[in-house]
Amino acid sequence: MITLNVNGEAKDVDVDPATPILWVVRENLKMTGTKFGCGVALCGACTVHLDGKPVRSCSTPVSEADGKAITTIEGLAEEDGTFSKVQQAWVDQQVAQCGYCQSGQIMSATALLKNNPNPTDEQIDAAMAGNICRCGTYVRIRKAIKTAAGTSSETQEA
Amino acid sequence: MADTKTSETAPKKGKWTRRAFIGAGVVAGGALVIGVAVRPGNPIDRLSPMVAKGKGEQLINAWVKVDADNIVTAIIPHVEMGQGVFTSLAQMLADELDADWSKVRILEAPADAKYVSHDIGREFLAPNLEVPAILEPTVGGTFLQLATAMNLQITGGSFSVRGTGQRAMRVAGAAAKEMLIAAAAEEWNVPAGELRAENSMILHDKSSKSAPFADFAAAAADQGLPNKPKLKSPKDYKLMGKAMARHDIPEKSNGTALFGIDADLPGMKYAAVKAAPVVGATIESMNVDTAKSMPGVLQILNMGDFVAVVADGYWQAQQALGTIDAKYSKTEGDTLNQDALFARYATVLDEAGDDDGDIETEKGDVTEAFAGAATKVEAEYKVPFLAHATMEPMNCTAWVRDGKCDVWSGHQAPLMARKAAADTLGIDTDAVTYHNAYLGGGFGRRSENDAIIMATRIAKAVPYPVKMIWSREEDTMHDHYRPSATSRFQAGLDKDGKAVSWSNIHTHLFDPQEAPTVPYYNIANHKIRKIDVPTHLRFGPWRSVDHSQHGYFIESFVDELAHAAGKDGYAYRRELLAGSKRHLAVLDKAAEMAGWGKPLPEGHGRGIAFVPSFGTIVAEVAEVDMTGAKPKVKKIYVAADPGFAVNPDGFAAQMESSIAYGLTATLYGEISVKDGAVQQSNFHDYPILRINEMPEVEVGIINGDHKRLGGAGEPGLPPLAPAVTNAIFAATGKRVRELPLSKVDFA
Amino acid sequence: MTALFRAAAPILVVTLAACGSDPAPEPTEQIVVREPGAEAPDSDTTPPAAEANDSLIAAGKAAFNTCIACHVVEKDGANRVGPNLYGIVGQAAASVEGFNYSDALASSGITWTEEELDAYIANPAAKVPGTTMMAGAITDAGRREAIIAYIENVSAN
Repeated sequence: MITLNVNGEAKDVDVDPATPILWVVRENLKMTGTKFGCGVALCGACTVHLDGKPVRSCSTPVSEADGKAITTIEGLAEEDGTFSKVQQAWVDQQVAQCGYCQSGQIMSATALLKNNPNPTDEQIDAAMAGNICRCGTYVRIRKAIKTAAGTSSETQEA
Repeated sequence: MADTKTSETAPKKGKWTRRAFIGAGVVAGGALVIGVAVRPGNPIDRLSPMVAKGKGEQLINAWVKVDADNIVTAIIPHVEMGQGVFTSLAQMLADELDADWSKVRILEAPADAKYVSHDIGREFLAPNLEVPAILEPTVGGTFLQLATAMNLQITGGSFSVRGTGQRAMRVAGAAAKEMLIAAAAEEWNVPAGELRAENSMILHDKSSKSAPFADFAAAAADQGLPNKPKLKSPKDYKLMGKAMARHDIPEKSNGTALFGIDADLPGMKYAAVKAAPVVGATIESMNVDTAKSMPGVLQILNMGDFVAVVADGYWQAQQALGTIDAKYSKTEGDTLNQDALFARYATVLDEAGDDDGDIETEKGDVTEAFAGAATKVEAEYKVPFLAHATMEPMNCTAWVRDGKCDVWSGHQAPLMARKAAADTLGIDTDAVTYHNAYLGGGFGRRSENDAIIMATRIAKAVPYPVKMIWSREEDTMHDHYRPSATSRFQAGLDKDGKAVSWSNIHTHLFDPQEAPTVPYYNIANHKIRKIDVPTHLRFGPWRSVDHSQHGYFIESFVDELAHAAGKDGYAYRRELLAGSKRHLAVLDKAAEMAGWGKPLPEGHGRGIAFVPSFGTIVAEVAEVDMTGAKPKVKKIYVAADPGFAVNPDGFAAQMESSIAYGLTATLYGEISVKDGAVQQSNFHDYPILRINEMPEVEVGIINGDHKRLGGAGEPGLPPLAPAVTNAIFAATGKRVRELPLSKVDFA
Repeated sequence: MTALFRAAAPILVVTLAACGSDPAPEPTEQIVVREPGAEAPDSDTTPPAAEANDSLIAAGKAAFNTCIACHVVEKDGANRVGPNLYGIVGQAAASVEGFNYSDALASSGITWTEEELDAYIANPAAKVPGTTMMAGAITDAGRREAIIAYIENVSAN
């Protein structure tokens, strides 16, 4: 039995420690917002945070999460469902198309903005290049990240 | 969204019931029902048990229900795969109904024959049929019967808005409004002509009376269906033509949106699969010694054409599958290699000479015109196989028990999926309930039934529900590919550089039939032929289908003609389009947006391409920077005339999307065959465009004819590749005649 | 919608032909390892101790799945996002031909002993600040050992 900290809650799971976090979250914890895309850390659809840092959950064994906090897409909004500023920017800029990669995109963008609240275009491209979107929502992802960065400073002033 | 789950097999209530996973209970058959325009009686008694079982819900006609809180639900007979169709179709219905948009909800229609997309059949039988009125009861009725027989409920061909939206959703909204008004007129004892609808209310201005739709919903349902409800003219549109926010984006931003891969059932197990690398081969033996002893493994199945491992968890199934060493039978396909295939295309085209092959279009006498031409231009172009690479790998969940079956997936044609499962099991279609979810990308891939059939076969062999997921490797190696092709052109120009003959022969034609043709260009003599060169690889529709190849072939060759004539690519196309106002307006707009003719930095080039497809006219200008080791596409300007853009922001999103999809193919896209098997397997050897390579995109929309709508999902793609390669030519003088660009040495 | 209709047509022919009379083939071989909920089979099948090294290599092969997005271990295999790792153990850092190394790794002076490799894949950025190896940190020592054993084994054959 392994005890995980997922979105601030302790969860006990009975799995092989080598099992990738992706499958533990999806199958054992029934949190399906995190997606399987390639299985080898090439597409970013499975991105979650480990202690705030983005990792590819398809290639990170659950043993790596020992003593660390896992954050998934389900953990970004407030408890009352209010979207995080990044999620709200995704809605405001009408980013998602098929939507399958967007959990991973939002997790990567959230991590980017945490470290760099006002990224340049080049910094956005560099930080987001690990996340593939087959619908090609990249133009809007750039806009949404800038919107979220702007909202962030406005919120602080308010 | 209302709780519409009615089946007793309801898995995990509270999850599946939230949205469009609809349990379509078995409903007694009867008259065919589609929309309101083609049906003599109102079908709501038969449809209500499927879509309006909630307390206080009243179905008014096949596509509209109203509940006690005055929530209007649009029932959408198409699937959502990112193209925004739930929202744009609801916009069309709600506009005609004068519904309050903030109180409009969306429900995907059940996979039931009563909701088939009859327009598909209509267009199939008479692709060139022009019916002046939007209402075509007899035409629609005829085709509906065909569509029902053919088991269609398809989303594809960029057809939902221009077909179903125009012919069913708008009519349904307008009809529901007239029925509500008629009911209110009876209730209030005033003439119907004095009533109007606004924001989901019925208003009587004279008496200042008003009441919500909900008050009249039950009485409205008893009204006769209007035969020809009056549709709005564009000046009265309130929602159509506006950039309404998509309904599905919030749930796609917080992880709650459910895709096929998210199906969850009590006691469900997981299957990993590996098919024979060469399609058509069978498994002769498999070594399962290691797999048998691996944790979580429940069953190992040799299905003949593929191996399946069923386990408690998917990762366990995958790990065990990875240890199985299978031997496969020899097939004729084993000898196929990509270079040899292109060589075979060349031989076949050589042997065809000037006359063999199937003639697709012929006008005038190309032989004579070419012989007398002042300048002769010839060129050959090649494109490879392409995979769809949807972000959500193929998957399907199935549960077979007691002579019936439930299937969960995301499919572009839910009725076909349902029938495929039934046929696989040898049971009646009515014994299969098909539950559709959001599609994590479709692009044509999810119109195929292979994953449905495989999952159903596994489910039949095991006593529990089973979720089959393909690895990315399986998904890449066992697609229904966009075919590789070779196309050869010959054209003659007169002394002024005007094209007088256009001959083309190519190795493949699938669909649409007009893809290789250029009727919009003024060229007196045409001859276009094809010769099929089939292989054992499975092929299927890939975003924009044959336009994806022919758009590149044709617009590259037109650019070569312009160059041979000593003219600018834009000016040359203007001459070819002379007299065609809508076409010229689109071409001119793209050129104007791009600042055509203005100087660019050293080593940069501009290219233009023009392709009308799926009813929408599109011109694109690419700006490419050739100063680095490889081409860098800086910006794409898109001008498009879809007749009328119902949701302009959604339309622009589809243009952006088509550019990213097309640019992936242009830069990298290549599936190649070696010894009969596909060589690529994951995103390292089948790369997808990433954000750092995404150009800026500017979209200009022209609403050229509100009565003739065009598609959105596909038409942005065909001009992209030639716009880029024409820009490369402008910058470097190097003509690219084979894609992808990663194979071209620009040093 | 001609496109998808025609796309569908050949499939329909197949499915209609199969209707009722000729359902799809059932498994030619069905190995039921256990029923759901039942205990896993006794671990009698555990490889004997003499094969312990083989099982380490097998575990390494499985663990190497984390790496295959970027690396191959193949004689004369191509470099991918990362270099081919064939024969890497014992080599000087940044010496795989044709791979574009970071300055940091090129000037590191490291020789890839088992110990050095172990420290590197435990945390590449900490071992060689400035390396372009952004993914693949493996904190589980057993998995690192297995992966290195696997690379050595493949390179020796």
